Amino acid sequence: MEIKICRIKKNEVVGNLHYLMEFENNFKESFSPGNFVYIKIENNFLRRPFSVSGFSKNSLKIIYKIVGEGTEKLSKKEKGECVDVLGPCGNSFPLFENKKIAIIGGGTGIAPLIFLCERLKKYKNEIDFFFGAKNKELLFLSILPPNINYIFTTEDGSFGKRGNIFDVFYKFKDIYEVIYASGPEELLKKISKLSDKIPIYLSLENYMGCGMGLCYGCVVKVKVNNGWIYKRVCKEGPVFSGKEIIWE
Amino acid sequence: MGIKMLKTKLGKIELDTPIIMASGTFGYGIERIDFIDYKKIGAIVTKTITFYPCEGNPQPRIYETYSGMINRIGLQNPGVFCFVKNILPLIRKKYKKIFVSITEKTEKELLKLIKIISKEKIDAIELNLSCPNFERNKRMISQDPDLTYRVIKIVKNETDIPIIAKISPNVTDIKEIAIASEKGGADILSLINTVKGLRIDFKKMKVIDGGLSGPCIKPIGLKCVYDVYKVINIPIIGIGGIVNGLDALEYIMVGASAVGIGSGFFNNPHIIEDVYFSLKKYLKENKYKDIEQIRGLLNEKN
Repeated sequence: MEIKICRIKKNEVVGNLHYLMEFENNFKESFSPGNFVYIKIENNFLRRPFSVSGFSKNSLKIIYKIVGEGTEKLSKKEKGECVDVLGPCGNSFPLFENKKIAIIGGGTGIAPLIFLCERLKKYKNEIDFFFGAKNKELLFLSILPPNINYIFTTEDGSFGKRGNIFDVFYKFKDIYEVIYASGPEELLKKISKLSDKIPIYLSLENYMGCGMGLCYGCVVKVKVNNGWIYKRVCKEGPVFSGKEIIWE
Repeated sequence: MGIKMLKTKLGKIELDTPIIMASGTFGYGIERIDFIDYKKIGAIVTKTITFYPCEGNPQPRIYETYSGMINRIGLQNPGVFCFVKNILPLIRKKYKKIFVSITEKTEKELLKLIKIISKEKIDAIELNLSCPNFERNKRMISQDPDLTYRVIKIVKNETDIPIIAKISPNVTDIKEIAIASEKGGADILSLINTVKGLRIDFKKMKVIDGGLSGPCIKPIGLKCVYDVYKVINIPIIGIGGIVNGLDALEYIMVGASAVGIGSGFFNNPHIIEDVYFSLKKYLKENKYKDIEQIRGLLNEKN
């Protein structure tokens, strides 16, 4: 984990209230899919966590939605300005080779899956990418990785099938060897019910304090032997196996 | 000179710097954080340990506020046996001075806890006296001067390790509690613990009722240290809302011997270096020989 001041290369609207920010990668450490960055927002006491959606030698990308005053301030930042970034934070998705893989994303949850998909592609996996959003605009078609088999749904039917991404995925569920997902809790809950048969890896979100594993503010209930314990989303997570999460 | 300027004495305990990582916001100090210069940390206070493991509170546990945050973690910890066996050896590798924070709900368990922790090579025990329901008392221990006195006395009789009493600002007169702590045998005082606060999470439609920390409580912490310094003769660790070197300087000038960094570390992860260099710079620029010369500079003992 390092803290770097990074110059913003791009901070653009990619859909209603949704932004893609690209900033210089000044980090010595490498980022893996699933890792997040913890960004300082002027005049807010706590930083804000964002999944890394793109990583290269020169730049890092995040996709975010304006959900409060912190993200609103972030959206006002312009190219050339700087952000104070702590990272890489958290664990990462386990990666496989030569597998039949389903990636399932809902809404803004797609952010870590873009980075994941690009990485999995390099390992000769056969990937079906299920992505559901409110409408066509929020499918971020212009920024999705190319040459992937996408299955889209929208709530309003403006692109792909009308309906819920889980329902579409469910019909094909038995053909996959590994499943990755990120998105609204309802979606992740449903997907994790399939954990008995298929390895499932989920990226979770939570309010965070430190982002470094110190404060135990962001914990989730996780199964262990005959009981459960609280694990930290910022440290043992944000990626958890679908089997271990106890949904509340 | 250099490093000697910041040498700090907390009673018999000698610290390289007055910078102490306060309890609860730095875990057990064993997470790998590469950007910290651990040599600049005078001591670490661990997250509070109880006798039995404690799972802590359900979510939500943390919420941002104006200029601070509210937490209700609920003392999640693995219990003293696991702490001593698995965690303490790792802490020892990283820190010169270790203060272990403890609390319990009954006298019996507190005594059991003290017996185990006293056998360990640690530099101080910080009694977290903000624990409510001690022996079914409705108030926190440190909201009752008699109970504060009694609990410290119990612990003091069981151990030779220096005792730090960490007390709550949620009282009518904190001086009364500080005096009771000193009489009970506390060697050092930690002022202040979080201030009670509340926020509403509209998304989850839940109330977050917990402890407020961050810069919003700094004036409260300073006032408590200012008032208490006048009436006691044991050293004070000033805590509450420190996010930079000037904040730390304020606490020291009203009488704190050392300063505790709490949630300020979340806001400014460079805070340790900030405080360290700011204090040195201030001393040099104003031609002070060491930090002792500015301790309580703007306060007087009664």
